[in-house]
Amino acid sequence: MAHEARKDGSHLELPVLIFGPVEIHRLQRELEALEEYLEQTAIREPGKQAPLPRTSRLLEALAGNNRFNLLVADERQELATFLKQIDHQAPVIHISFAADPSSAFMAKIVAWFRTNIHPYALVQLGLQPTIAAGCIVRTSNKSFDFSLRHHFYDHRQLLLEALGGASPQPAQGAVTVTGRQT
Amino acid sequence: MTIWWLILILSCIAAGGAAFIYVAVRLSRAAPQKKTLDDLQDNAERDVEHIFNDEFREELRNRGRLHFEKILGENAMFLQQDLRLTTSQLNDYMKDQISKDLKEAFANYESAISDAKQLAVESIEKTKATIDEQRQMLTAQLEQEVSEEKARRIQRFDENMADVVNHYVLAAIGNQIDLNDQLEYILSELEANKKAILEDVVNGA
Repeated sequence: MAHEARKDGSHLELPVLIFGPVEIHRLQRELEALEEYLEQTAIREPGKQAPLPRTSRLLEALAGNNRFNLLVADERQELATFLKQIDHQAPVIHISFAADPSSAFMAKIVAWFRTNIHPYALVQLGLQPTIAAGCIVRTSNKSFDFSLRHHFYDHRQLLLEALGGASPQPAQGAVTVTGRQT
Repeated sequence: MTIWWLILILSCIAAGGAAFIYVAVRLSRAAPQKKTLDDLQDNAERDVEHIFNDEFREELRNRGRLHFEKILGENAMFLQQDLRLTTSQLNDYMKDQISKDLKEAFANYESAISDAKQLAVESIEKTKATIDEQRQMLTAQLEQEVSEEKARRIQRFDENMADVVNHYVLAAIGNQIDLNDQLEYILSELEANKKAILEDVVNGA
C-alpha cells in the first residue's frame, strides 16, 4: 500500500455504488462516527469497549477497492480527505428519469459517466414522470433532453404530416421544427 | 224670422181693432149743433144702432174671433213650418259645419299622422341601416376573431402536439416502460452527446 503516492487522492478509485453527493455526505458522516468511536475506544478501559459499529456497504466498497484499512487512523484520514476533495471538486451531473431507477441501472449510468466524462463524476438523481421515457441530463451549463417528450417534439413534423394526410385540410400555422434545446 | 212675422201680423190685427173702436167712439161722441144735424145724427145713430146692434156686433166679434183664430192658426202653421224648415236648415248647417270642421280636423290629423308616420319610417329606416351596418361590422369582426382564434388554437395544438402525444403515451403505457429497456437508448444518446457533456464538465468545472 503505497500511501505516500496517493496523498493527493488523485488515483483513488470511487466505486460506482457511490452515485452522488448524498452518498459522499453519508460516507463522510460514517467516517466521522467511526473516528469518534475509535477515539473513545482508545480512552476507555480495556475490556469495556463498545462493540465496533457496523460499516456500510458503501464504506466497505470504498475501503476495499482502494485497499484501505479503516482501523488505521492515517488511512481513515486519507479517506476523509479524499471524500472532502470529491465533495468540493468533483463534477456533479444531474440526471432525471421518469421512474425511480434500480441500483444496478444507476451503477451502469454512473460507470459510463466515470469512464467517459470524469473518473469522479457524481450523479444527482431526479424524478420527472412527465418525460415518459428516456432521461434529462443537466450539467453545470447545459441541459441535454433525451426524453421521449423531446423526441416527439423533434419529430413533430412527421406527426403533423400524418395528421394532415388523415384530415381533408392541412392544419394551419404549423411551426417548423426547432433544434434540440441545450 | 217666423216669430217676427207672427208679431207683425198680431200688431196689424191689434191696430185694425183699435182703429175700428176709435171710429166708433168718434162717431158716437160727435154732437150735432143744429137740430137737423141732431136729428140726422139721431137718425143716423138709430140707423147705426139699428144696423150695428148687439147681435150684429156679436156676429162681427165672432167673425173677427174666428178670423183671428184662423189667422193665428195659419201663422202658427207657418211658424211651425218655418221652425221646422229653420230647424232642418239649422241641422243641415250644423251638420255641414261639423262635417267641415271634422273633415278639417281629420285632414289635419291625417296630415300630422302622415308626417309622424313618415318621420317614424325614416327613423326606423335609419335605425335599420345603422343596425345592418353594425351587424355587418360585428359579423366581420366576429368572423375575423373566430378565424384568428381558430388559427391560434390550431397553432397551439400543433405546438403542443408533442406534449399531447407524450401525455397520451404516458397515460397509456407510462407504467409499462422499464428503465432497463431504455438503458441502451440512454447510453447511445449519452455517447452521441459525449463531447458536449465532456466540454461542459471540463469548462464548467
